Amino acid sequence: MNAARSGWRGGLRAAVAIARRDLVEFVRDRRTLFITLLLPVATYPILALSTALGVRTAAVEIEAERAPVPIVVVASGRDAAAFAARVAAVDASVTGAARQEWPASLRLDVVLPEEARRRVDAGEADLWIETRPRIITDLDSRGTVAIPVRWSDRRPLPQQVRSQFEVVMKAVAADARTRRLAAAGLPADLLEPLTLSYAATKPGEAPAAPKPIAPVVAGGVLVLLAVLTLTGAFYPAIDAIAGEKERGTIETLLIAPCAPRDIVFGKFLAVFAVTVATLVVNVLSICATGAVAGRFLPQGLSLGLPAGGLPIVVSVLAFVGLAALSAATCLAVTTAAKSGKEAQNTLTPVILLVSALAGTALLPGMQAASPIAAVPFAGQVLVGRAAFDLADGAAGSSLAVLAGLAVTLVSSCLLTGLLLALTSLMLTDEDILFRGPDVAASGLARPGRRDRPTVVEGIVPLVGGLAALWYAQGLTPDDLALAIPLQQVLTVLGPLMLAVWWQRVNLVRTFSLRWPWGLPLGAGTPVGRVVASVGGAALVGAGMFGLGAAALLAVKGTSLSVEAEDLNRRLLDLMLQRPTWLAWCLMALVPAVCEEFLFRGWVLAAFTGGGRSLRRVTAAVVAQAACFAVFHLLPERMPQTFALGLALGAMTVATHSILPAIVCHLVHNSLPLVLVMLAGGRTALARAVESAGASDGVTTIPPWAVVAAVISTACGIALLAAGTRAARDAGQSRSDER
Amino acid sequence: MIEVVDLVKHYRASDGGIVKAVDGVSFAVAAGEMVGLLGANGAGKTTTLRVLATLLKPTSGTAFVGGRDVREDPVGVRRRLGYVSATTGVPDRLTPREVFDSFGRLHGLDPAARAARVERLLDVLGLRSCADRPAGRLSSGQRQRVSVGRALVHDPPALVLDEPTSALDVVGSRDLLTLLIDLRAEGHAILLSTHRLHEIEHRCDRFVVIHGGRVVTTGTRADLVAAAPSDGPATLEAAFFAAIDATAAGAPP
Repeated sequence: MNAARSGWRGGLRAAVAIARRDLVEFVRDRRTLFITLLLPVATYPILALSTALGVRTAAVEIEAERAPVPIVVVASGRDAAAFAARVAAVDASVTGAARQEWPASLRLDVVLPEEARRRVDAGEADLWIETRPRIITDLDSRGTVAIPVRWSDRRPLPQQVRSQFEVVMKAVAADARTRRLAAAGLPADLLEPLTLSYAATKPGEAPAAPKPIAPVVAGGVLVLLAVLTLTGAFYPAIDAIAGEKERGTIETLLIAPCAPRDIVFGKFLAVFAVTVATLVVNVLSICATGAVAGRFLPQGLSLGLPAGGLPIVVSVLAFVGLAALSAATCLAVTTAAKSGKEAQNTLTPVILLVSALAGTALLPGMQAASPIAAVPFAGQVLVGRAAFDLADGAAGSSLAVLAGLAVTLVSSCLLTGLLLALTSLMLTDEDILFRGPDVAASGLARPGRRDRPTVVEGIVPLVGGLAALWYAQGLTPDDLALAIPLQQVLTVLGPLMLAVWWQRVNLVRTFSLRWPWGLPLGAGTPVGRVVASVGGAALVGAGMFGLGAAALLAVKGTSLSVEAEDLNRRLLDLMLQRPTWLAWCLMALVPAVCEEFLFRGWVLAAFTGGGRSLRRVTAAVVAQAACFAVFHLLPERMPQTFALGLALGAMTVATHSILPAIVCHLVHNSLPLVLVMLAGGRTALARAVESAGASDGVTTIPPWAVVAAVISTACGIALLAAGTRAARDAGQSRSDER
Repeated sequence: MIEVVDLVKHYRASDGGIVKAVDGVSFAVAAGEMVGLLGANGAGKTTTLRVLATLLKPTSGTAFVGGRDVREDPVGVRRRLGYVSATTGVPDRLTPREVFDSFGRLHGLDPAARAARVERLLDVLGLRSCADRPAGRLSSGQRQRVSVGRALVHDPPALVLDEPTSALDVVGSRDLLTLLIDLRAEGHAILLSTHRLHEIEHRCDRFVVIHGGRVVTTGTRADLVAAAPSDGPATLEAAFFAAIDATAAGAPP
């Protein structure tokens, strides 16, 4: 309401005023200047220099290995002299290109075995070969002649001696092969059916272009750029809110005539400007370093910047989105901090986490035109790298890269907006704003009893759950009958129960443990309300399942990811191999109850925070739906779960009860089993699977089913809305209960 | 101009209990009046003033500034209020001129009005000599004057100050209080909280004494002194002690 009165123009004016003021402060902060300007200016030359030194050292080592060396060989045995003469003849006859990798000189002395051993041990000879009787005859007739080669066990045999001696011996073998063919009356080229010759199309031109290194190093440089761009937001974000709290100036902003979101937007603009400046300086430093490095590259290598500049434009655009996301992330993470030091402690692990996330874009198999492009910090690197790969001639199309760019930009905008909304909520949270140093110092002390968790406390079990989700992958068995309960306990119930025990919140208010539209659970069962809410929720759940499935099939068809295919297969196994009641419990009942208590209970209560304004409640519903979608991990299912999360959150807020959300979720998850029963039971399903394959059985949903889903959803919403209106008219809706 | 109506603000304490920081406080400050809000630590002064500044939301009851409700129109309240507390600071890297200018911009003053206002505040607050020096290099007295100037930049009709002299020496306190008296003469409504009773004893028009989150007495200095036992000194401090001692002993407020 206050925001509405101040108007968007007033809000924007206030935001710009705050941004100007903050920018002046940032520019006068040495730390910001150092991170923004000096760090990029120094980092890339140092990186290029160290890389150049490494390349040069490696080149020298390779060159040294290839350099011709003098080889001294001693030979013993009855026909050693004849063999030495043959080798000397080959050495004299081989010329031109055939002498590539030939030793600088080759001396073969014929001695007695004792003398040979002594010379090798003394280092006077590199190798000692023992020739067998009639060696020349055998070489020129048939069979394979084995020649033992020995060296001293007192010193290692240099690789180049070994490889160059082998080149000579191969020439001796080739000579013997020619002699054998001649003796047999066969042409000398009998065993050489093919030979290659390389030449430029025009005489005098270079045979091959130097190898470009830009596409090779682009991935690594983009990851570094992502991390350095984020560090550009580091100090400004800390200074913007935590620093203001430390200096006692945040109150002066909070009593300015604008909404909290205007303040946050102003702060964001300032931090974003510095982050973009950091990005620009980084890009300039990369270009300048590249230009310098291009002059000193070893022969055969070129900088190879792609023509047309598409990769650079795509990367810069993607990274502007990353800069916005970085600014919003750093602000959101540091808003709860009371001081600069506390903010640094919070933000530093985030930098490490983001670095790891950006690095995942370098993994093989990552495609720009995939949902991965929407993953923050990884998506931008992925799109940039794909653009460089494309310019280098890799498979793919410009359209795919541009689609990836669009996805990453939309994702950056949405996430930035979400993070800024979260920051606004935290900025005016009285518990956070006026949190005393005693609370900060006693981090392990259990907080006092309260109605609902704070926003930060709301996020904690989610983070714990996501971490558990990752680790649980190594523990959970393939069989979903065991995997689902284990996963629900580890990732949902466990973190939630720990959080509930630790925080000592009011369970009724936090988890909306009431009959729909207000009456406490102990106050008798209001049958009419329960029927209306349960019926409405069930219709919405059924309708959203149908709409979600239709949308998924329309967009993705049957080309699901490997993970989604695997999950579908396992769910199918569960339905076919386990009793129906068990499959229903595992697929529907357990997730519906556990996830509703986490998301529509704990998380929604934390994000709503007892606020009643439409903006606050809407932001809370959207934020918890986003968390709900992310928690389901599979990218292709995220839009569906996000929409479902919105519906579940909205009905919980409207009815002040968690019951409709549980029913809706339950019906939504039960639909696959219901459809199986309607289609003739498990036996029919098994037959259909056998004949059509696990995932190819259904490719479209008939139009009548989509219409039925729309009608079901609309009827459910109408029923819930009517119940809400009736409760409000009856004056029984307790607006203060959420 | 300032009106507090049955204001209640409860906090959740770390032990799980409810702290009634403010428990039904009501009083008013008229335009051209300076009222001292007195009370011991934890009496509820700062919470009351923070609710007036829209930094805290009331549990129940409400407050008005210039006719605007802190619950319904917090932005309207902020347009009409200047707020200074002992903990409100000044950006270290900005000069006084920049501080005034940035807050003038934030309040939507046009450039000409803003420039005129900044120059006037620099003169009135005696900050001309350090107008372009970063606030981090100013003395605590100068910083406090910058803080007051920041609150006055939009020329609010109501001014709320929470222990504004706590960081000042005697000269700084005297200068600030003289400035407040001038502002009162210009028609500003001023609500002032302080522990230094002797500083405001003869400067405020009326006093509101709160204890345990409730108003225990209110009136002019003469009213408070007259209500105190006659065996003690006839000072505001003695009257204040008498009022809160009587409340602690169970006398009705």
